[in-house]
Amino acid sequence: MKKNRLALYIAIAVFVSVCGGIAFSQEDIRTVADSAFDVRQIMRPPVRFLHDGHNEKAQIGDCNVCHHAYDEKGQKTDDSSEGTECSECHKPETPENTLALTRAYHLQCKGCHAERKAGPVMCGECHVK
Amino acid sequence: MHGLYNFVSGPMVWIAFILFIGGCLYRLVSLASLAKEKDTAVYAYMDFYYALRSIFHWIIPFGSENMRRQPLMTLFTFAFHICLICVPLFLFAHVVLWKESWNISWGFLSDSTADVMTLIVIASCIFFLVRRLTRPEVKFLTNRSDFIILAIVAAPFITGFWAYHQWAGYRMMLILHILSGEIMLIAIPFSRLSHAIFFPLTRGYMGSEFGAVKNAKDW
Ligand code: HEC
Ligand code: HEC
Ligand code: HEC
Ligand code: HEC
Repeated sequence: MKKNRLALYIAIAVFVSVCGGIAFSQEDIRTVADSAFDVRQIMRPPVRFLHDGHNEKAQIGDCNVCHHAYDEKGQKTDDSSEGTECSECHKPETPENTLALTRAYHLQCKGCHAERKAGPVMCGECHVK
Repeated sequence: MHGLYNFVSGPMVWIAFILFIGGCLYRLVSLASLAKEKDTAVYAYMDFYYALRSIFHWIIPFGSENMRRQPLMTLFTFAFHICLICVPLFLFAHVVLWKESWNISWGFLSDSTADVMTLIVIASCIFFLVRRLTRPEVKFLTNRSDFIILAIVAAPFITGFWAYHQWAGYRMMLILHILSGEIMLIAIPFSRLSHAIFFPLTRGYMGSEFGAVKNAKDW
């Protein structure tokens, strides 16, 4: 009996620390969770997005394909903007109305998928219930 | 799946809207010129006040004698038409798509409201179907095209409801949803669904003739 319980404790301890490790390791983004979207107000389930795995599979080498940067004249530059959230530049209209920011995400994600005929393009393929 | 989706959500949308808008204009213009040629009285009798008076009585629930005599049918007809028009225009996902393509937006229904309204449309379609199958006086006037039209109208709502809830076969269902919506748009000018555009004219004319000529009510 006691032995079993000890094994259980160990199993739980291992499980918790592994999960904690995953949750806190920075490179392991699992869903897109832009802080501009209020989790209490979002209308759709969060989008599964395994950052590094996705880019590896999709063979995207340059960070600035997504984390792009523009100069004052509105021309795209070779710089990249990783570490800055999309919403810092693509501001939602109001905290309640986030259509403009949503549009930026959709055009970038769906746009590439449609163009390459690979990756999800339908609402429910990204916003999986 | 990508090729199919890109087609129904790209070129096919253009085809549907061009046929829908072009078809409506064509039907209106050809009706107007036909009336000018064959029945000039239409223009002579047309009266703005009496036309609006009649339309008004027919677009408010139980505004006409006919509607009061068939309360259940009236209830379903009004609920059906309100939901049929509002759900596609103000569905949140549709607003998101307009925003993406044209950077324009307007108000939208909450998803749960739209869900209930969709069920109202589907329930109404079932009611109309049963009525056509069981009421002798309606059955007598029914032919195959009535069922086809009913199916064309019900299809986008059934597939849309299915897709929103992401039940089995989600991808195929969403493609069918888009396609059936496009078929319905195209069918509006070219089938009896054209009552949507002709209603104000036919009702307005009836109202004018009854009001100005016969001095009678037509509701
Ligand atoms: C396919 C598009 C895409 C590519 C390519 C991409 N990222 Fe990201 N990245 C994202 C998205 C989306 C987020 C999540 C934003 C959020 O949740 O706010 C993100 C988040 C991040 C974050 C975390 C930012 C934060 O505030 O938490 C870092 C760091 C990052 N990316 C670095 C990189 C680097 C380095 C590269 C190149 C090796 C890269 N990204 C390539 C889309 C991309
Ligand atoms: C440093 C500011 C900045 C950041 C961060 C940023 N953008 Fe942009 N983005 C711009 C600017 C400036 C433009 C060009 C002007 C415009 O169209 O608004 C632009 C254009 C776009 C466009 C339209 C043109 C195109 O490239 O297709 C999309 C879509 C887009 N951004 C999505 C995103 C997404 C998604 C993210 C986060 C991964 C992001 N942006 C992060 C500044 C930024
Ligand atoms: C530059 C192109 C590009 C951009 C931008 C892009 N993707 Fe992808 N994505 C792909 C490709 C290509 C695949 C298919 C990979 C495969 O399965 O071979 C893919 C696959 C996916 C998948 C399927 C599961 C997986 O991880 O393989 C998801 C989910 C996904 N993308 C989400 C996103 C999201 C969310 C964004 C925007 C933040 C995004 N993608 C932006 C190219 C892109
Ligand atoms: C390629 C993947 C993809 C597809 C396809 C997609 N979305 Fe999104 N969507 C995203 C991403 C990524 C975000 C940003 C999520 C975040 O940061 O929380 C987003 C955000 C949103 C938001 C704002 C957040 C919320 O839940 O209120 C809405 C609404 C939304 N999407 C609706 C839709 C609808 C409707 C469709 C289909 C017409 C759709 N999306 C298709 C990836 C996608």
